[in-house]
This record gives sequence, C-alpha cells and structure tokens, in this order.
Amino acid sequence: MKNLKQVYAALALAALASTAPVQAQEIIKLGISAPMSGAAAVWGLGMEWTAKQAAEKINLDGGVTVGGKKYNFAVVAYDNKYTAAEGTKVAQNLINRDKVKFIVGGIGTAPISALQSLSERSGVMIFISAWGKSVKGPQFPLTFTQSNTPFEILDPLYKYVLAQNPKAKTVAILNANDASGKEVELVAQKAWAAQGVKVLSSNWYERGTTQFQPVAAKLTEQKPDIIDLGVAPPADAGIVLKELGVLGWKGVKVLPVGTSATQLAQIGGAAANGTYMGYAGDYSSSLATPVQQILNQGMLAQFKEPLNPLQVSSYDSVYALKAAMEASNSIDPKKIAAVLPTLVFETSYGKTVFGSKAIYDSPQQMQVPVMITQVQDGKMVELTRIIPEELKARLAAAK
Amino acid sequence: MGNARGSTTLYVALLSLLVLGGSLFAGTGFAASLVIWVAINILLAASFRFVQLIGELNFAIAGFVGVGAYVAGVCTTKLGLPFVVALVSAALAATLLSLIVGYITLRTKGPYFMLISFAFTEVLRMVYTQIDYIGSNSGMLGVFPPVLLTDYYPTFVVAVVLLSLIVLYKIEQSDFGKVLVAIRNNDAIVQTVGINVHLTKVSCLAISSFIAGICGALLAHANNVISPDDFSFLLAVYTLAYIKVGGESHIAGPILGASVLTLLAQVAMGFGPFEHIFYGAAIVIAVLLMPDGLVGIIRKFLGLPPKPQAAAKH
Amino acid sequence: MEIFGQLFINSLQISAAYILFSLGLTLIFGVMKVVNFAHGEFFGLVLLLIAILVPWLNSPSVPLVVAYGASGAVSILATMACGWFLYHFAFKKFQRDMVGSFVLSVGLSLLIQGLFLEFFGGVPIKLPDLIEGNLRILGGAITTQRLVLTLIALLVAVTMCWLIAATKLGKSLRAVSEDHEAAMLQGIPYRKTALYGFLIATFLAAIAGALLAPVTVISANVGSDFLIKGFIAIVIGGLGSIPGSIIGSILIAVIESVGGYYFDPSLATLAMFVITMLVLLVRPKGIMGNG
Repeated sequence: MKNLKQVYAALALAALASTAPVQAQEIIKLGISAPMSGAAAVWGLGMEWTAKQAAEKINLDGGVTVGGKKYNFAVVAYDNKYTAAEGTKVAQNLINRDKVKFIVGGIGTAPISALQSLSERSGVMIFISAWGKSVKGPQFPLTFTQSNTPFEILDPLYKYVLAQNPKAKTVAILNANDASGKEVELVAQKAWAAQGVKVLSSNWYERGTTQFQPVAAKLTEQKPDIIDLGVAPPADAGIVLKELGVLGWKGVKVLPVGTSATQLAQIGGAAANGTYMGYAGDYSSSLATPVQQILNQGMLAQFKEPLNPLQVSSYDSVYALKAAMEASNSIDPKKIAAVLPTLVFETSYGKTVFGSKAIYDSPQQMQVPVMITQVQDGKMVELTRIIPEELKARLAAAK
Repeated sequence: MGNARGSTTLYVALLSLLVLGGSLFAGTGFAASLVIWVAINILLAASFRFVQLIGELNFAIAGFVGVGAYVAGVCTTKLGLPFVVALVSAALAATLLSLIVGYITLRTKGPYFMLISFAFTEVLRMVYTQIDYIGSNSGMLGVFPPVLLTDYYPTFVVAVVLLSLIVLYKIEQSDFGKVLVAIRNNDAIVQTVGINVHLTKVSCLAISSFIAGICGALLAHANNVISPDDFSFLLAVYTLAYIKVGGESHIAGPILGASVLTLLAQVAMGFGPFEHIFYGAAIVIAVLLMPDGLVGIIRKFLGLPPKPQAAAKH
Repeated sequence: MEIFGQLFINSLQISAAYILFSLGLTLIFGVMKVVNFAHGEFFGLVLLLIAILVPWLNSPSVPLVVAYGASGAVSILATMACGWFLYHFAFKKFQRDMVGSFVLSVGLSLLIQGLFLEFFGGVPIKLPDLIEGNLRILGGAITTQRLVLTLIALLVAVTMCWLIAATKLGKSLRAVSEDHEAAMLQGIPYRKTALYGFLIATFLAAIAGALLAPVTVISANVGSDFLIKGFIAIVIGGLGSIPGSIIGSILIAVIESVGGYYFDPSLATLAMFVITMLVLLVRPKGIMGNG
C-alpha cells in the first residue's frame, strides 16, 4: 500500500508541474489541425509544408516585430484524421498542452467544429478551410477562413461547366457520409437547381470503403449527364472515376473539391480525364505570382504534386497574421482579430482582404480567386480564373 | 483480520482524500484534462473488469459508454436539463439498453459473446452516424458542465469515480460478488443450487453498464464534443489494455493500469501513430510477460501469495 | 436486365478478394482455435512492401510484370518469415485459448498498424495496372485485371479445398481441428500441424495481398478494412470451416454489391453487422460450422 501512496503522490506532483508555463518568450507557435493520413493525407501534409515555408521566410527576414520585440514563428501540426474524435484530441493538445494561440490551418468540418468549440472559449484565433457554413458567423469572432468554400466555388463552377456542356440536364451527386459531405451536399443541390439542372439522386458512401463498384453502379443507374463527386478526397474520387470508366459511363465529371490532377490521374487512369475541378490552380505559369511558382516547385520536389489552393492557404494565413500583428502592435488574438478585417495585406496572391460580410454576416472570408481547372491527359489545365468583386472594390478603394 | 480490514479502510480513505485534494489544484488547463482522463479511464477499466467477474469480455462497453454520452449530451444541449439529471439519465439509459441486450446475448459465452458485443458496438456506432438529431458524423457540440462546476470539474469527476469504485468494490466483496465468481468458475454448479444464472449474469452486465453510462456522461462533458468515432471498438481495446497492464485480480489493477498507461501515453509520447504503437505494445507485453499485470508484480514484491487464477480456457 | 449481370460480376469480384482473406483466417481458427485479429496485417505487410518495391524496381530495363513478380515473391517470403516469428513467440502459447489469443492479436494489430503508419506515411498509393483493358461478361463490365484475379482466387480456393480433403496434411489439419487430443492419440504431430496450419494461413493472406496489389489503393490500415469483412464472413460461414468461409465471403459480397446498389452502401455495412449478431445468437457455429 505504501508503494501505491507514493505512486499517487508522484502523480499529483506531475499534474501540478505540468501547469507551469513552458513557452519561451521569443517563439510564437502556430498550430495546424488537418488530416495527415488516409485518403486526404496530401491536403494536411501540404498545408504543413507551406506554413513552414512561410514561417521560415518570415523568421529569416527578421521575424515579427511587436511592441519593439522580435518574435519567430514555429509550426506545430497534428493529424486530425478527418474525424471529430481525433479533432477534439488535437484541439486539446494544441490549445491546452502546447499553449498555442494561433491556428493557421484547419481542414475537415467535423474536426474543425471540435477545434472551434475550444478555441473560441480559450481566446485562440483560428484560420480554417472548413467547408461548412456552420463554422462561420459573428458568434465566432476569432475564426477566419483563408480559402474558398462551396459558397464561393459552386456557383461559378457549375455555371462554367454548363456553359461548356450545354446539353447536360441531369446530375447524380456522391458524397462521403461525414460532416463536410453533409454540408456541401445541401449547397450543391441548391446550386444545381439554380442552374436548371435536375438532381437525379444524392448518394452517400462510408469512409473506409474499399470496393467502389456498387457505388459506381448506383451513380450511373439513371444515366445522368453529370456526376458530381462533392467532397470526396482525392484517393476515393480517383477510384470512383476508375469504376465509372469500367462501366463505360461517359458524361461530365465534376469534383468541386478536386485539388490536383496527379492523384486523380494516378488512381483513376484515363477515366480521370475531363474532370472539372474547383479547388486546384495553375501555379506553375505566369498566371501565378513568383512566390507561388517557387512554392509550386517546392511541392513538386517534396510531394511530387503541384501546389493547390488548399495547401497554399496556410502560407497566406501566416502572412495575414503577421500583418495583423504588426498593424495592431499586439500578440493578443482578440486585438488582432479586431484589426484584421480592416487591413489590406500581402499574401502569395498579392494584396488581398477579408470580407464577405453579406454571406456570413461577418467579414471572415479571405478574398482569393476562384480557379476552375480540368484534367487533360493526366495533367491539370487551368480554364479560367475569377477575381471576387469585393476584392476588386477594396483594392480600388485602397488606392 | 479485523485490524487488517480496518487499516485498509483507513488507507483507502486517506488516499481518496489526498487524491481529491490534489485534484483541486488541477485548474482548467491541460493538467485538468489529464486528471479527468485518468479518472474516467480508471472507471472504464473497473466497469469492464466487473463483467470479467462472470468470465466475459464485454466489448460492448464502448457501446454503452456511447449511449450514456449521447443521452447526457442530448439532455444538456437539446433539452436543457440540469447536469445531475443528464448524468442519471445517461446511466439509466445505458442500464436499460444493457438489460435488453444482455438478456438476449448472455445466453452465449466466451468468444461468441465477445464477437457479438464487438458487432453490437459497431452497429451502435453506425446507427449514431445515421441520426441527424444527434449530429451524425459531425458529432454533438457544446456539451458543457454547469457553470458552477467549470473550475472544479476535475474534482467532481474524481469524486464520482472514487464513489463508483467503492460501490463496485463493495459489490464484488459481497455475497453477490461471490456468486459472480462462482459462475465464472462453473455456472452449471451454480445453477444446481437454485440460483438463476442467466438473470444474475444480466444483472452483472447491468451494473457494469450503469457505470459505463456514467463514464459516458462524464466524458461528454469533459470533451464538450462527442462523435460516433469516440465510441468505436478501439475504446474497448484501450480499456482492455488498462486492465491487462494493471492486472485483473484486484480492483487496484484497473486503477494502476489506467493511470500508468494514460499518463505515459499523454505526457511522454504524444499521440498519432505513437498512440497505436504504445497501446498495442502495452497489450502485447502485458499479455506475454505480465499475466497478472502490475498488481501481480506488486504482489510478488510484497511477498503475498498470488491469487488463484480462474479457469481461462473454454 | 443488364443490371443483374453487373451486380453478379460485382459480387463475384468482391467475393474473390474476401475469400482469399477469410480462408486463412478460418484455417487458423480451426486448427489452433485462435482468433487472430492481426491476420489483416500480413495482408497489409505484403501490400506495403510491394508498394515500395515495385516503383523502385520498375524502370525501362525492368518490365512491370517482372517488377510485380519479384516484389510479390520477396514480400510473400518476408511475410511468411514474420508469420513464423509471430507463431513462435506469441501465438504458440495461446493455442486453444480463444480469449487470450484474441486479446494478444488485438494488441499486435494495433502495434503493427502504428508501425506501418510511422514507416509508410499517411498518403495512399495506387500502383500501375498490370493488365490493361475492360471486358463485358454477362452484361456486366469488369477490368481484365480483376477478372484474372478473380479466377486465380477461385483457383486457390479450390486448391485449398482439395488440399484439405485429399492430402495427408489436409487430413491432419481437419483431425486436429475436430478433436486435437484424439488426433494426437492417433500419432498426428499436433505442434507441427499447428505450425503448418498457421503458415498456410499466412501464405494465403500474403497471396491475397500480392494478387490484390495492382487493384487496391494501398495505405497503412488497408489490412483492417479487409479484416473486419473477413471476420464477418467466417462468423457467418462457420468458424473453422473452409467451405463456410467461401460461402460467408460470397454472402457478404452479395450484400455489399446488391445492398449497396438498391439501398445505401452505409446501410449495407450496418446490415452485415446485424446479420453477424443474429448468426452468433441463433446458430453460433455458423452455416457450415463444426466448432
């Protein structure tokens, strides 16, 4: 029994000791919560990489100066496995254990909702790419979105696709049975209806499915003109496309959350050609800024995949954070969050702002271009790039 | 014997006070989360172990914890009921479900019961993902303990856990507990004495599930977010790890196993793939090298005779 | 009518994958009365090794077929070695202890998967197709590669059945699974037979991995995705029965393809688990089981 008592005493001491503040003065930790394993792994891994690039660059350039003091950035990234359960753990580790005050990247509506319920209470500022509307609004003053979501992408994407394929009248939708899928599907239904396209069926699959033949058979059952693959991650989307090819279905393929042609083409083969994607962009040519071209080359070297808007978003949020810190001359998330919507700041795209109050009741959306691309011959080709109206207006006003 | 019993009670009382007192200092940061996790894991392991008294591996525990968590979550967030009501409803819901399920499934034994409870947990988990009212895959958010308890939640959890452990221990030491162990050894003989073995087994599961429901409610209010994936088979596996490492033969086993594993995993190793490696290795090492867990090692250390092992093979 | 052909073809090719997998699982159970939850990791190991070796070997000078063949052979051998290792240091002590072996194998599965994730990383890989082209059979479309795989799988299944029925080893395995003490009295070397049984099972999982490598998206936890289905298949078909595992696999493949088509893929999975529970309650020995 004596041993047990000692054990408990040691435990109590350990618990006490861990409450002592550990953070060094000069380093500001930037957290990331994203999937780094499974079908969506490339998203999280890429996001971590670009954030680290941004942090390194800023540190080399002299760091962030606030109140006469210099700070360096350090990136801490954890795998949220795209689930709410793991997202909760990541949130608690980042915010409670690592004492992170700024999250510069978050992917996955379910894990991000979990993160948000802790971050808003703890006064932590977060930049996320979650696609649900439920994670934005005036009730979340410390939450910002730094990349496009279905509300920005779907309408222009669908419009463009139909302009290129005027004979298409019907669509079958597929989504993974998770939070992101559920939120996006609602928006997709409305968006297709707004374009006059009939939704024949809305289908769901469980994450972790390995055999997609039944799914593909169900999708093609009513012979739709278009198949919309919703928020399916690259690996899953690739297999579905392959199976659709095997069945001999030839129609218009749309993947709103499509981020790169590489995995789609690798897994889907020839069947991936022709797929319209809403979340990829050409960062290798003069359509992109020099900064983005360099990042793109780095991504190719590291991951054999070109850069996509989802991954570059954390680079942008790091720079947005730096700008807001220096403008507000503070490292207090609340002060920074108050200042951010008023700024015009530099990102990898050039100058941009936070806006979209009309849609979300609060200016939390970073205004970045919507790029529509297509898989052609296994490669991604950018078809068009749309600059948001609000951005144009703000930039003009700033002159 | 009287003296030894008396001093044990004294030790336990002192320890409990020490632990309770220590938890008051936990605050609201990471240390608080740690204390809560350790406490809940201890209770989970104790609940699982309780069913081992009748010789069954209750993998369905994850399912009952889930029921408790969701019922408590609904009470707090959707129905706006007081915390105590949520806690009690959670326990009762889990118990009720276990009565139904136990009545049907406890006619089977050993590996068959084990596989059924595994399948049951998965079925429940999939059912959760289909129900939008509780948030399906996105999970249920905003499950917060009442304002009064916010700063003292760790202490509250530790108090509930201590109380539950004492109750479980008392039941185990009582005549009812002895009947349970007798059933594990040879239920045919117990039947001949006129005891309704089936109903006894069902009661055992019900008691364990009551505790599991409480764990679920505490967990829900600690994490503030619950989702179907929280209550998968993996939860039962981790609970098993705590027991295997701690030792099954005494109620101190779950306490030791859960404390040691949870603290080591969180403080030393972080999580992610490490968590799987860590828990997996813990189970393998415990099963291969420490059949009676840490409790067995302590027994040897103290020179106590090893407790007679129940027949494990079917 | 065309849809029936497609559903039939889908069921067939899905069941081929599950059959290979569950044959090994049921063999281990039958002979050693061991519930091996880590069986999927042999499958996973082969897939992961092939995923690393094929891109490494594949170059203009080494044709794809050779790359696949060599990687397959090496991976299978490596996995067999692991199987032997696990048998000697772990499972041998837990023969006939269904509960203990289950617990041990759960721990092993967790540990191995964690290691896979550490060393392999999170990003899934799809290897290049070995055989190109699609076919239409009975109104259903199927890739040539999958057709070949299905045929080979069926061949392996038939060979296994013949092995069990006709050869001396097969008879020993059957004898041991029915009553190991009586078998020992007959002079059948139990230890050796158990070892052979375990190795054959490991080999089956390895072959399944090698055959499925060109058509599967490979990731660290691919083993457990298949394992669950394999378990359901052998529980329904009968723990320890070879024909049972084949029937069980076909049944769940049909549920997956037909159920997934007419209803919802998620509901189909749910249905499978519910059926498993029912079988365990009503007829725990399964459809063909002999315990």
